[in-house]
Amino acid sequence: MTNTWALSALWVGLALAATLLAIWFKISTALSEIVVGTVAQLVIGLFLAQGGLLGNTQWISFLAGTGAIVLTFLAGAELDPAIFRTKWREALVIGLAGFFGPFLGCTAIAHYLLHWSIMSSWLCGVALSTTSVAVVYAVMLELGFNVTEYGKSILAACFINDLGTVIALGLIFSPFTIKTLIFVVVSVVVFAVLPFITPWFFRKYGGRVSEIEAKYILFLLFAMGGLAVWAGSEAVLPAYLIGMVLAGTVGKDHTLIRRLRTLTFGLLTPFYFIRAGSFVSVPALIAAPATMLILFLAKSLTKAIAVYPAVRVHRYEGDSGTYYTLMMSTGLTFGTISALFGLNHQIITQAQYSYLVGTVIASAVIPTVIANSFFLPRHLLPQALASRKPEPAVQRPMAAEEV
Amino acid sequence: MGSSVFVGIQRILVAFDASPHAEHAVDVALSMAADMKAKLFIVSVIRPPEPAESAEFNAVLEDGRERYERCFAPIRERARQKEIELETDIVLGHPAEQIIHKAETIQASIIVMGKRSHTLLHRWMLGSNTERVLKYAHCPVMIVH
Repeated sequence: MTNTWALSALWVGLALAATLLAIWFKISTALSEIVVGTVAQLVIGLFLAQGGLLGNTQWISFLAGTGAIVLTFLAGAELDPAIFRTKWREALVIGLAGFFGPFLGCTAIAHYLLHWSIMSSWLCGVALSTTSVAVVYAVMLELGFNVTEYGKSILAACFINDLGTVIALGLIFSPFTIKTLIFVVVSVVVFAVLPFITPWFFRKYGGRVSEIEAKYILFLLFAMGGLAVWAGSEAVLPAYLIGMVLAGTVGKDHTLIRRLRTLTFGLLTPFYFIRAGSFVSVPALIAAPATMLILFLAKSLTKAIAVYPAVRVHRYEGDSGTYYTLMMSTGLTFGTISALFGLNHQIITQAQYSYLVGTVIASAVIPTVIANSFFLPRHLLPQALASRKPEPAVQRPMAAEEV
Repeated sequence: MGSSVFVGIQRILVAFDASPHAEHAVDVALSMAADMKAKLFIVSVIRPPEPAESAEFNAVLEDGRERYERCFAPIRERARQKEIELETDIVLGHPAEQIIHKAETIQASIIVMGKRSHTLLHRWMLGSNTERVLKYAHCPVMIVH
């Protein structure tokens, strides 16, 4: 029998090493954990123990799955309902373009060019359709666009884009049965009442040492996740939607969000990202690097082709439109969640999983590497200066609330 | 250091990252500002992890703002005691880029920075902010050891 504590020490030790690397190289912890997971699995599997990190051990799968669910909930809870109400039309057009472009384009390329099976190709489309709200938001804060109407609509569009990904992941691969119907009906009812019940419940019982708020949120996520899996769907679908419907209430409770972050980053997501990385087959990537290149180009081009016209239609001109289009091409969390879902459900093979995760990482890393390698202060470039709006880089007290 | 070297300095910008070197840079800048009756600006840059991931990014942002605001409180008090006009700012982005941008925006007469020592690997991978500021700044840059 495997020594549980020794295995725990190994995983948490890897998480610690990944965090140190993230601090040293100023990269996101998620990216660092994926890479550490891949390398550790390769090295330990080759030289130390057969099976490597034992990522399919039940308790590791549970912690990793919980990490994905809570992370997805937190992503949904960051939505600003006020922005959404005012900019929903633009957000819908750009967000749907950002989702359907790469979703359909990458599916077609995977099927017709790479000759993947139809279900593998759909999964590929889903995994590469994602965007990253955080990346876009970070760039907006840097350039001061976060307070502009355009910036707000782009942020809302990112949520729509990711919502498309999560819904596609939750529904495309599940058989439509009576269970699906029950799941949808129960979900609609729960999502409708949650924004009213939750604040009342927190007011009445919250603010105690027993952390009833965190237990309430976890109960909701597990219960709806369980229902989703029972219906043949995916647990992150209700998690994202619960996050979105509670964004105006729970999402503004900074204390609770911080506690959930501590739980998530301290324990859960390291298991998720290291596990996701451990399933990447380095030999498969080395054997067919062209596949990854094709998928990377497919993702970048289809996203650009779909988003750029949508951005232009909404009267946004200049280089920043191109810049945001590129920014919308990232998406580490939902990309890996989708790929791991495909691997777990045998929709894709381990080699295909490796190509997808490699592509997701490449789409997140390559722009950063280029920016760091050929750095020029962006505002010194005349074109960038001309397209820059006059807002300050960060609205100090306000921006903290907007996050 | 004689004041005559710094004649005409009206706006001093300090790049502050809460390190001991940056604290030292603030000490020097406060003295300079007091001697020259100059206005002091302090800018702190929160560098987001790359690529930014939603929950982690927000955590870094909030943590950075709180940390710098805590650091600014005693500096504000020292500036008040010396009757120095002080303005602080917290921005997000690449440190060198934001420092240069801030210097141009406020038309700084001089930028004061602490010297940080990085490993060769770190410099190769990420470059040195000090070197970048020296290369692109429109005004003199003082590196405080």
